[in-house]
Amino acid sequence: MNDSSPKGMGSQKSSDKKELWKSLNDYNSDPDVLKFKHDEFVEGVTEDFDPSKLSGISRRKFLALLSASAALTATACTNYRDKGEIIPYNKRPEEIFPGVANYYASTCNGCGQACGILIKTREGRPIKVDGNPDHPINKGKICAKGQASILDLYDPERLKAPRFNRNDISWKSVDENIITALNEAQRDRKEIAIVTDRITSPTTKKILDDFVSKYPNTKIYSHSLVNDEQRRQACLESYGTTEYPSIKFEEANVILALDADFLGNEGNYIENMRKFTAKREVVGKTDFNRLYVAEGRMSATGMMADYRVSISPSMQYEFVMALINELTKSGSTISLDSNVKSKIEKYSNSFFNKIDKEKISHLVDDLNTNRGKAIVYAGDTLPKEVHIAVNLLNEILGNTVLYDYTSLSKSLINQSTKEEISILIDSMKNGKVGTVIHFDSNPVYILPGDYGYTSALKNVNAVVTLTEAENETSTVSNYTLPINHAFESWGDANTCSKVYSLQQPVISPIFNTRQKETVLLTWISGDANSYKEDLYHQYLMNNFNATVFVKKNTFADAKTFWYSALHDGVVLLNEPSQQNKFNLTAFNSIKELADGNGFTLHLTESYYVGDGKFSNNGWLQETPHPVTKITWDNYAAISPKLAKQLNVEMNDLVSIGVGKTNLELPVLVQPGMDNKTINIELGYGRTVIGDIGKEVGFNSVLLMSKEFSLSPYIYKNATIKKFDGTHKLVSTQEHHSLDDTFVKDFHRTRKIIQEGTVEKYKKEPNFLHEEKEKLVGITREHQYTGLKWAMAIDLNKCTSCSACITSCNVENNVPVVGKDQVERGREMQWMRIDRYYSGTPDEPIVSNQPMLCQHCDNAPCENVCPVNATNHSPDGLNQMAYNRCVGTRYCSNNCPYKVRRFNFFNFRDHFADAYYENDLTSLVHNPEVTVRSRGVMEKCTFCVQRIMEARSNAARDGKTLKGSDVVTACQQACPTNAITFGDANDPNSDVAKLREHNLSYHVLEELYIKPNVTYIAKLRNTHSEEI
Amino acid sequence: MKRTVLDYALKIRLPLTLFVVAISFVLTFYFSRAERDSVGYKPEQPIKFSHKLHAGQMAIDCQYCHIGVTKERQAIIPSVNICMNCHTISRKDKPEIIKLTKYYNDGNIIPWKRIHKIPEYAYFNHSVHINKGIDCESCHGDVKEMEVVEQVKPFTMTACLDCHRQPEKNLPYLKKVKLGPEYCSACHR
Repeated sequence: MNDSSPKGMGSQKSSDKKELWKSLNDYNSDPDVLKFKHDEFVEGVTEDFDPSKLSGISRRKFLALLSASAALTATACTNYRDKGEIIPYNKRPEEIFPGVANYYASTCNGCGQACGILIKTREGRPIKVDGNPDHPINKGKICAKGQASILDLYDPERLKAPRFNRNDISWKSVDENIITALNEAQRDRKEIAIVTDRITSPTTKKILDDFVSKYPNTKIYSHSLVNDEQRRQACLESYGTTEYPSIKFEEANVILALDADFLGNEGNYIENMRKFTAKREVVGKTDFNRLYVAEGRMSATGMMADYRVSISPSMQYEFVMALINELTKSGSTISLDSNVKSKIEKYSNSFFNKIDKEKISHLVDDLNTNRGKAIVYAGDTLPKEVHIAVNLLNEILGNTVLYDYTSLSKSLINQSTKEEISILIDSMKNGKVGTVIHFDSNPVYILPGDYGYTSALKNVNAVVTLTEAENETSTVSNYTLPINHAFESWGDANTCSKVYSLQQPVISPIFNTRQKETVLLTWISGDANSYKEDLYHQYLMNNFNATVFVKKNTFADAKTFWYSALHDGVVLLNEPSQQNKFNLTAFNSIKELADGNGFTLHLTESYYVGDGKFSNNGWLQETPHPVTKITWDNYAAISPKLAKQLNVEMNDLVSIGVGKTNLELPVLVQPGMDNKTINIELGYGRTVIGDIGKEVGFNSVLLMSKEFSLSPYIYKNATIKKFDGTHKLVSTQEHHSLDDTFVKDFHRTRKIIQEGTVEKYKKEPNFLHEEKEKLVGITREHQYTGLKWAMAIDLNKCTSCSACITSCNVENNVPVVGKDQVERGREMQWMRIDRYYSGTPDEPIVSNQPMLCQHCDNAPCENVCPVNATNHSPDGLNQMAYNRCVGTRYCSNNCPYKVRRFNFFNFRDHFADAYYENDLTSLVHNPEVTVRSRGVMEKCTFCVQRIMEARSNAARDGKTLKGSDVVTACQQACPTNAITFGDANDPNSDVAKLREHNLSYHVLEELYIKPNVTYIAKLRNTHSEEI
Repeated sequence: MKRTVLDYALKIRLPLTLFVVAISFVLTFYFSRAERDSVGYKPEQPIKFSHKLHAGQMAIDCQYCHIGVTKERQAIIPSVNICMNCHTISRKDKPEIIKLTKYYNDGNIIPWKRIHKIPEYAYFNHSVHINKGIDCESCHGDVKEMEVVEQVKPFTMTACLDCHRQPEKNLPYLKKVKLGPEYCSACHR
């Protein structure tokens, strides 16, 4: 501990390390961090903030003007102020009530999972997206990307009209020209290539089939940057089908995740999170699952692990084989032939010594004792061979009973193999391709550079790109055709075998855009005049009747059934499927994978900008990374040991080399990383995109190659070396940091994170509150006789997915501030998820804690406000009256949780040169919440607008308002239901029960400010009673 | 002692100026009160609609046109199709109804002048007040007698709080009445 620390930490030995640390600098007691924690704001938070620069009028001039205008008013006060107009509808649509929200069920297009959504619209404009509770997969929840996707609808940089060679052109001439081009290609026997992203819609697939029958020279190529092709291929070889079952995580006692971020961004992680946390319930249960994670990077799933070992992704194959060898010693559910035995015997358990002998022996024991109740789950990025081995391992252990064959992951159009894409590119080069249609895909950005796709495109006559906004592909196309946003589109999806979901438009197209399927239908008809806006709508209905309605065998007629399906958003299908037998030859014929000598590069999908699709979405760019809390960037994550070896620190540039390609990007030192692994996120470094996403981060697709040895995402023998220069990475973590080190040695430790183990909790349920003391306040106690709003957050369930943060942003009109403002600590998100490390930098234990305004009964912020802009309501809300606030920031200074946010600028007109101040983007605002301006303090309100709506509904219906009538935005979004909200004074409410739970605690309880957000301490399911 | 310019300025000129400013401020403040509160605001509407005729003589219920008033925040100015419920048949030959029919048939909106307005940072909810039994007249005055609608009461925070604090005095017709909420987030959020 550092003697220079301000509050006499000198009594401690210098070798002592902290129990809880927020970053490596913190762990090493960097004096900067100590100073940081001591200071209220980040140094420089008020720098280059000169109000006089903002407006041309000085204070004196302003006062002069004010008095002049006052004098004018006085003389001319005989006139009334004009109050504008009220414009009612001419013919009000029956379902629209001005001021009342309508909800429409639809399907999310954010990724390939096609979750069911409910879109909230006000006066015909969408303002919020949430999950559709009737959808059996995501059950009313939706991820951060889905929440924020609404901003893309109002993106002013969307394409507004079709273009031909950068000039505007009419849709009619587009249709005429392309139909001619298609017919010519057909006549000259040239190929017509349609390149798409992953197709989730059976009707779109049918249209593509129709296109092929109309123009038989057409070939369809499907390629997405991040896909589950390795898993599918493994499934095909092991079980003879590419459709793999979902996993019943809710029934698993032991889960081993191998570089699998199933709680972060793999598969349907919304469903996975819900199922996983079903066995993390502490109310009336202690039946916990145990999560083992073996990974090279630090993922969101790794943060949740009970036992975590770091192992390079290139060693996973050996690891799985060694596990198979070890576990078959105690028998196998399926019979293994001698080939298998000779194959696995090469891998002995001495391999485990390389990793962590003790943890692995726990793992082997647990897998052995929980046969049939455990699951081994490999990540999408791992090579096919590992997946096949994992399939065998699950077969041996009898874990296949946890495969859910009623819910298969469908693949409507298989991903094109690298051979198929290479052949396409060769034909393009040889002039054998007449037309290329990029059907809402961006191959120029997502295809590895060694394909030579961009240069090959030059030999194609007509390159057509259908896209929402300009991208890397559209700039090298002849025709750039704007398509509807998902909220303006019809559609359907069938990604999971048991669900068919429908998508309906909730707003008519804002610009001169068309539904992408309608564009194809017009071309299929061969007549440019055949275009009608509802072409696809009709087609979809017909296809729905022909494929879904006939199967359902209902008494309803087709039309009624269509409307009821559209209302619900989903139709449940029960397509019987059976479990196939594992094909042992698949295992015998896999090639042996060996670890390389150098470093292993692991490319993973970005958590929030996805494959680059959401790069122009400010809300998502500004959502902090779940682990590193970095915003607006990607980086090379390396272990602390490797950083020391290379003599680099955070922000220093390194050069990563794979084969002949190199990429220079900044380093982030990530505790818990494997020493031989480098992790970089994909989806950044877009070059042709709007102002938000342009040149944010570094394009790691450049490091990908079609000649990969393991999988497209894992490269052995990568190199890393220091490079000159730095690039500032901006994180939200050290801002607003909570003081925990100063009081570490006090006899009552200031426990911000309190944790235990399941074993300990079973023995002493009250272990958290053993040394409770009576706290005394100096202020008068308030009495809360009626309702009292309170929240409880179960830390056992929080995976740091940040759906709550984005949901809050959308609901409460939280602005985007941009990277340079985040750097100065001026981010505006009302909610944050704090991440704490404990343990050592090599084996950190991670704790997450959502932090928001605690609505303290004895709120310290209220006492210091000179104008009484923040004060308490009789139902326990710490309220903030913006129009009273004069911006002294005393409240923020006095807030021990650092949850208040100050508008240093009018962020809507300041961010990136008034990016958000336009007529279009302001449509996204929630009309029930004030849009705050410069000089005003703001913070979480417990969604007071929702409380007030519930209150007025109760008055309308003659009922008494109940705590359960109100659902806050974060609570509604939380995929694991970790957040509970309600009436603390109602003893039967969930929140009151949680407040009384043995594991409940308040952060900084000893200050006696009586916060109303209760945290449920996290239990770790380890074998010991100590963490 | 010799009188200086400074003495004159401090002892006579400054107090005099301050006095004049103060008096003119007080007078202006007092006499412009109604205008500032918009009391008496009576703009000319695009169609000379008479509440006295419709609500008064014909005794059409307020809610026949202002359909939102028990259901939600806004009372809602009626959409043109509500007018046309009757006026497709009745009084079709009157000049104002011809104007109305033209708006309706052309699909145009009628730019009604706004009379009652509270600041945008305050969120007033009609349905809560109406569902608690408060009359429209308590805030909007006797609209039934108005040929042209005008604002009769100030829509200020003072006016709101006056009633919230003493509902029994301001709403004597209510037999049972609870105090209105006074905390900030009741109106501001």
